[in-house]
Amino acid sequence: MNKLIHWIGKTFGSKSNKCPEEEHCLELARLMLDEESTADDKQYVMKHIGSCYKCYDNYDVEKAIREVVKQKCKNLKIPQDVTNQIREKIGAH
Amino acid sequence: MPYLDALYNFAYKLTLNEDDAKDLLQDTCMKAYRFINSFEKGTNAKAWLFRILKNSFINDYRKKSKAPAMVDYQDVESYYNSDKGDSSREITVDLRAETVRDKLGDEITIALNSLDVDFRTVIILCDLEGFKYDEMAKILDIPIGTVRSRLHRARNMLKVKLAVYAAKMGYK
Repeated sequence: MNKLIHWIGKTFGSKSNKCPEEEHCLELARLMLDEESTADDKQYVMKHIGSCYKCYDNYDVEKAIREVVKQKCKNLKIPQDVTNQIREKIGAH
Repeated sequence: MPYLDALYNFAYKLTLNEDDAKDLLQDTCMKAYRFINSFEKGTNAKAWLFRILKNSFINDYRKKSKAPAMVDYQDVESYYNSDKGDSSREITVDLRAETVRDKLGDEITIALNSLDVDFRTVIILCDLEGFKYDEMAKILDIPIGTVRSRLHRARNMLKVKLAVYAAKMGYK
């Protein structure tokens, strides 16, 4: 589905196609993705991206970046020797 | 002790150095243990621990830790001045393709690490650790409006960095 939307966007969307609400919509979309938006803001974003390719695009990129960051940056495990050292230090107090 | 992995991850992302991250984590744990009475029961323990770690980093490590690689503004500028024009559409297609995501593994870490530590921190706290804005405000000792604007700027910078990488990798 996404591919289809992108194909449509790339094929028919003009690169100079600007949305006057883009900045505002992006800010609210970010709040929505962070689960910090009000119900009204959420409704505005969902309605707007339903009819504006440019803003839908921005929203989807935001979502994708969050997913990649989560996927790629969270797998650091604490080395066992550090855990042991901490236990020893706390135990010694 | 809960949250150790998350704290170590945070320490490493702040210091960008394994030894400093280990020391910072140990300091944090010792301070948490020593000042456990200052923790208010019923409040968010994870946020409390992150706040201790952040304060330790600012007080003890920030000066001595290596300065992170700064955003290569020349790259960014030349990218925008080129005829590629609308970068957002180009990166859109790239970031959503599985193959590109896999290849972006290292680049996303490099891009995140290349942000100034204040910007890096808000992305880590929000996206990796799932803190709410009010919790981040307490951890960082800044107003919630500043959390919001800093996060907005950090996301813009990260997006530009990724667009530059995608362009360099030849994805359009």
